[in-house]
Formats: sequence, C-alpha cells, structure tokens
Amino acid sequence: MEADASLLISAVVSGLLLGGFYAAVSVGVAISFGMLDIVNIAHPAFILLGSYVAFIGNTVFGIDPILSVMITLPAFYLLGMLAYQVYYVAFERRDDQSLRGLSFFFGLLFIAEVGLILVFGVDYRSVQAWYVSGNLNLGVVELPWRLLVPFLLGLAMVGALQIFLARTFIGRAIQAVAQDQQALRLMAADPTKIKRIAFGLSFATAALGGAAMIIIQPIEPSIGREYIGRIFAICVLGGLGSFPGMVIAALTLGVVENITATFFGPSWAPAVSFGVLLITLAVRPSGILGR
Amino acid sequence: MASSLTLSNIVAGYGAVRVLDDVSLSVGAGETVALLGTNGNGKSTLMKSIMGMVRPAAGTITATIDGTSHELVGRSTEEIVDLGVGFVPEGRRLFPKLTVTENLLLGAFRPTARSAIAKNLDFCFETFPRLKERSNQLAGSMSGGEQQMLALARALMSAPRILLIDEPSVGLAPLLVQRTIDKIKELKDGFNLTVLMAEQNFTQAVRIADRGYVIVHGKIAFTGESAEALNNNDLIREFYLGA
Repeated sequence: MEADASLLISAVVSGLLLGGFYAAVSVGVAISFGMLDIVNIAHPAFILLGSYVAFIGNTVFGIDPILSVMITLPAFYLLGMLAYQVYYVAFERRDDQSLRGLSFFFGLLFIAEVGLILVFGVDYRSVQAWYVSGNLNLGVVELPWRLLVPFLLGLAMVGALQIFLARTFIGRAIQAVAQDQQALRLMAADPTKIKRIAFGLSFATAALGGAAMIIIQPIEPSIGREYIGRIFAICVLGGLGSFPGMVIAALTLGVVENITATFFGPSWAPAVSFGVLLITLAVRPSGILGR
Repeated sequence: MASSLTLSNIVAGYGAVRVLDDVSLSVGAGETVALLGTNGNGKSTLMKSIMGMVRPAAGTITATIDGTSHELVGRSTEEIVDLGVGFVPEGRRLFPKLTVTENLLLGAFRPTARSAIAKNLDFCFETFPRLKERSNQLAGSMSGGEQQMLALARALMSAPRILLIDEPSVGLAPLLVQRTIDKIKELKDGFNLTVLMAEQNFTQAVRIADRGYVIVHGKIAFTGESAEALNNNDLIREFYLGA
C-alpha cells in the first residue's frame, strides 16, 4: 500500500508537469482554433519544426535549446503571418475556408512532415543540456528537470499571452475577431491584420513548444500525429477561447494520462483521456471554462 | 471645432439593384438630423454608404472633422471610423462572448481614443449606470434595451466627432424607445457631437432632431428644415404616417 501511494503521488506530480508541457503545445491551437475559428491541423508539424530547429542549434552551433527559442520565436511569428496571408488570399477572401481551408492545412501537415523526413530522416533525435537529465530533489518527490523546465516555460508563455490578450487593444481585438468581423471594422480595426498577428503568435508558440518537446523526449518526424488529437481535445475540453480553461484541461489530461499509464499501462492512456473529454462535454458542452 | 457631413448625388445599391438614387443631404456642425422612412426605402444603405460598407456607384461623401475635410468614398470602414465617424449599426452588432467592459474597451481601439479611455469609460458608466452594474456580464446575455445602451456607449468610446445611429428603436418596448432617444440627446450634448440618426419611429425621432429628411424609394422626398416643418407637413402625414 505504501508503494502504491508513493507511486500515485509521483504519477500525479509528473502528470502535472507533463500537463504544463501540453499547455505549451496547445496554446497555439487555442489561438487559431479557439479564437480565429481556423482549424490549423498542421500545428503539431510546426511544433516539430521548432524541435528540429532547436536540435540544429544545439548540435551544430552548441546553443542551449531554450536560448535558441529567442531566435526562432520571431522567425516563426513571421512564418505564421505568411501562412495566414496565403490562407487568406486563397480561401478566406473567397469565403471558401471551411472545407478547402481544412484541406490546405492537411496539405501543409504532409508537406512539413515529408520535408522533415527528407532533411532529418526517421531516426530519433535529441538535444544536450544540463536539464535533459537529473532531478530536482524536494524530499517528498523528485522532479525531473526535463519535465520541470518545459512545465515552467509552458505556463510562463501561456501567462504572458493571457496578459497580452486581456490587457492590450490588439489582444482584445483578437478575442473579438471571430465573433463579428464587420463590427470589428467599426472599432477602427482591420480584421485581416488582427488575424495575421494572431496567427503569427500561434505559430510563434510552436517555436517554444517544439523546444520543450525535444527536451522532454527524443523526436522523429511523425511524432506530431500523436499530438493532433490530444491538442484539439485539450482546447475543446478547456472551452474554446479560454486560456485558463485550456491550462486546466491540459493539466487534467496530463494527470489522467499519467495515472492510467502508471497503473494500467500506457496503451489505456488515450482511451481514458478521450473518455474524460466525452464525459466533460456531456455535462458541460462548452468545455470547462467555455463562454 | 466644427464637424459636419455632406452627401452629394449618391447612387448606390447591391449588384443590379439600385437602392439610392441621387441622394444629397447634409448634417451641419452640432446638428441632430433625422433620416426618416419606413423599411426598405434605403436608410440603412445610406448609412452603410457613408461607413464604407457599401460602395456608391456615383456621388461624393465629404466629412469635415474638426475643420479638416475628408472624402469618404473609396475608404475602408476602419479608416472612416479612425477619422472620427462613429456608427451604431442596426442590430447593435456587439461582441456577444465578450463582457460589457471588454466591448467598451474595444470601442476605444482607435489610437486617438486611447488617451481619453478612462474618462470616456467613466462617462459611459455614469450615463448608463446599468452597464456599470453589468460590467462583467457577457454582452450576449443582456436584454435588448441594455444591448442598445452598450452599442451606443461602445460607439462613444471611439471618441467620434460625427455619430451615425441606425434604427436605435428596433426591437425595443415603447418606453425603452423613448428612454433611448433621450439618451442620444444627452450624449450628443455631453460630447458635442454631430448626429445623423435613421429611424422609423417618426414621433420619437422628431423630438430630438433639429431637422430631418424623409426618404422614399431611395430618393429624398421631403426636407424638413425644422422639427415643426416635419410635424406639420401634409405630405408626411399622407405618405409617411398614413393619416
């Protein structure tokens, strides 16, 4: 019984840490899908791109993976603005976004994935840094640095974005843009520009999410697929448009997955996670904190 | 400084359908002008033409803001709002999933309005105490009357010099219509605005209007140079009021 209790505590603690990382990879979709109504299914592929950029920076130039985010963040922001511009000109402007827009992002997903395979191959890659191994010993529990660092980075990023969205004019406009574009024009804001900024931010989060991912685990190009379902589940579970809800959902999923994996085996984890999603939506159709 | 609006020979419509046919009207500095007419005569199209939401096929729209003239035809809606022309659209067009305060703060997106944001927010809450009580409530969950108040207040947050209001009385109970019209007068005086108001409710609109135009089938059928002229005109009684 003693062993079970300590196993449970460590499953919960590392589940929470994992949840912080889930929040880091989900926040981009919480913006694009939750606030802009754009189903960017290719987001995990760009998270992986972020991982590989951190990998190159680390192995070729010897840069710390977290430090390399400082450089990749603005680059990903610009890439996101470009992706939105293409999407806007090709689909949204013609009112064609729902189905063809989705296939656009599906295409983007495959191109990104195949591109990564061609360049990096299918072998697992990892980075070197002091926090990739080792634990922070707190007496009661030991926190592995490789989980703790992404957890802290993830929550810091979500917190910063939450402040930006709630306190700035651009941020509030991002929250409003999907609700009524024409009305946003009447506030003297250009909806296309607002969406471009928001989509840039969504991509920029993939730079940090990617660095966090390669710190947590070795990566290969198709690993992103595991995250597509999980990320969208977290956003829906938390309630679209709500960051606090998304974080609660990410932490919940992290803990539930970890407990299930610890006591019943990893193959049960996705089933239990999606079970939690279905039950929550049955009780609260708009998600945990959805408006 | 004076702000006014002049429309000359505006022709506008949707596709092959011509809604406005050679419409000219003006709103002088500090005036409240009523645009009267029943449904389907082109009031909303006229408002949308001014706001750049419908592009006129011919004619000019000139807004003079604090002494500087701007041609509005060809400009985008956001540019026109940024010049200082506020618009309260028909159906309010609030952001339903944002709170009252968030809606109001978005109203002040216009850079010129940002410096006065605290003062204007206080003024809005003072004028509409109900909005202050409900400041953290989602806009979509409020009653029609409260939503109309919020739509008015949100437009004022952009610190406009000219305010266009499209059908403020639609969907409101008679008592609320009267109260809304009174508030428009109060806001107009408080902000020293130039107001163009489209309205079906003739008696209510004429109460606060300095002048008025009656629009019938896309043409200006009658120009009333004073509220009395509107009230006492036989043509209006016959065609518009049906009495």
